[in-house]
Amino acid sequence: MADELARLTELFRIVFDDDTLVVTPETTAADVSGWDSLTHVTLMLNVEREFGVRFSSREVAMLKNVGELVQLVASRQHVR
Amino acid sequence: MDASSYSRRMLQYVRERHPRSLAGVLEARAVDPRRFDEYAALFVGWATSAYGEDVIERMVDAFVLFSSDVNLAQARYEATGRYERLTYKESDDAVYSQPGVMRDYLLGVYLTNFMWAHHMELSLLFEDRFLPSIAGESRIIEIAPGHGGWGLWALHATRGTSLVGFDISDTAVDMARQLASAAQLSARASYAQRDAMSITTDIGPVYDACICSFLIEHLEDPGALLALVSRLVRPTARVFLTGALTAAQVDHVYEFRHEAELVVLAEQHGFRVLDMRSVGPRRTLPGARFLPRSAALILQKRTHETW
Repeated sequence: MADELARLTELFRIVFDDDTLVVTPETTAADVSGWDSLTHVTLMLNVEREFGVRFSSREVAMLKNVGELVQLVASRQHVR
Repeated sequence: MDASSYSRRMLQYVRERHPRSLAGVLEARAVDPRRFDEYAALFVGWATSAYGEDVIERMVDAFVLFSSDVNLAQARYEATGRYERLTYKESDDAVYSQPGVMRDYLLGVYLTNFMWAHHMELSLLFEDRFLPSIAGESRIIEIAPGHGGWGLWALHATRGTSLVGFDISDTAVDMARQLASAAQLSARASYAQRDAMSITTDIGPVYDACICSFLIEHLEDPGALLALVSRLVRPTARVFLTGALTAAQVDHVYEFRHEAELVVLAEQHGFRVLDMRSVGPRRTLPGARFLPRSAALILQKRTHETW
């Protein structure tokens, strides 16, 4: 899942306009300035495009941290 | 619990469990902190009486899920330029006739009345401008009450009034009845499962007031709703009507783009617009081309051609 985390890090840097941003599986909204409900949706749509997957609203809403996002993406990649 | 204890508990839970949603809820409270706390005490108080203290966290979860649903639908609308669903039947099949979906949907919507900043402003209009216009002994009809919160608020704030509500969803009718019981308003509120649009000639213009909140954008023919309301209310009756504009949602079908469309519809069906408030959220999606707005109109049934 290191590949997914690396690609997600790039997306985080784009969405939050911060080239130095580093995310780990433990990273939550409290750790990233500006990660509110709207930027979260923007992030998730970028993830959908990057990985060619589509998320449900519940999946989008209930993600607690980056680790859960990595797992969600990885599980979809295996299904495809 | 004192008036602010409900909002404190909800804010604490949002902060701990749903930090991404905290900014929006704080914006809503900032609109009017005192009344935010009062609304929380009123609405959440009824809910805890009906379902127990544990419902608070469940309601907040449902609110976050509903808000996410709305944000996601809005983002997809931004990408395509159109709402995802085009017919009422699609919404009925996916949402209204699905009890499991509908329960969380209603709990989430219930909190948006004060936990979305722009809806908080509509609640202020309801309290400041609509409720004082309801005379004692008034008969109120609520079309598509959903959770029932608006109508119960009207009964709570007035004396001698009574209310009938029709909703297409059994789940909604159950919830409205449970909240009415919790609010000790059952004797003045009755609800029935019925497609409001099927009310044709069997009920005449007997109502003194009407509440119809966020139904019109769910319909394929919004004019038919205004025609129905016009048939149901007496001349000079007051109507509280709300609708969404360029605001996507899983079950929004009719895309209003301009406030004037609502005004014209109301005027075409025998109403005079007494008050109107159209409010967008404080924050929008980055690069958004649509501003999702919620509009509330207070209408008066005309007695003459123009007034």
